[in-house]
Amino acid sequence: MEDLVVGDLTVAVSTSDAIIICRWTGRSVEREAELALEPFFDNLLEAAGETRSIDMHFEALAHFNSSTISTLIVFIQAARRKKVPLTLHYDESLKWQRLSFDALRMFQRNDELFSLTATTNE
Amino acid sequence: MFGFSIDLPVRKEWKNVDLLRTSVQTCFSAVFQDLNGCDALSMITGELLENAMKYGSWDDTTYTVFRLKIEGTTETATVTVQNPIVVDSDDVKKLFATVEWIASFDQPIEAYRARLREIAGRDGSNTDSQLGLVRVAYEGGASLKATLEGDSVIVSAQLDL
Repeated sequence: MEDLVVGDLTVAVSTSDAIIICRWTGRSVEREAELALEPFFDNLLEAAGETRSIDMHFEALAHFNSSTISTLIVFIQAARRKKVPLTLHYDESLKWQRLSFDALRMFQRNDELFSLTATTNE
Repeated sequence: MFGFSIDLPVRKEWKNVDLLRTSVQTCFSAVFQDLNGCDALSMITGELLENAMKYGSWDDTTYTVFRLKIEGTTETATVTVQNPIVVDSDDVKKLFATVEWIASFDQPIEAYRARLREIAGRDGSNTDSQLGLVRVAYEGGASLKATLEGDSVIVSAQLDL
């Protein structure tokens, strides 16, 4: 899969047999984030199929707007429906990331389909 | 006494949201040691400006009606955005209803979770998520106020630093 580059946002993609890793850098500030992100997410789920999980790393992301968060929530639901395991990694030493991603824990269930991993770069 | 104030007119191009948001971040990083507070201020600035551009009325208005103001002390800061609107429009009613809805929760995180749940329950594409103001209250820890002034609305967010 190709990387996604939209304005100041880059999502670098690396794929192996078992996992697709996406590393978010820059800033996601599009007015309608879904226009760029939804097709990218659809391709990700297709590439994951029934054999790969998806790891998304946000630790190096400088900022995202609420439109991006909303689009991410829609993606979390879509990944669950397709039974693609999804893990979001964030930097808990950054208060904005801690608050944003901790709130997403409400979408965790008693399965391995969606999880959040806090790391720290301090 | 320590105090600060920024007050400027804004052109309504979308790219200006990020220009101003990053400027606020950079500017206050030179003033405050607490970078988390700078992140909160810049996020609030961005979300309020985005809201103004998405839901304001931009027909036949001059840029001077659209203003960003940030003022405060060592203890608190207030981010205020004033933009033109059509009085009694659905967008304005929705804005006031959202501010009231957020205030109806004991804790902002409850409002935030409720909005996330609502977004997750929608079918299909994400449009018009109405998450920005809730994020200002929850992640920014700010109390929101909206008032009308002629053909403009003034939305302010006050937070402790």
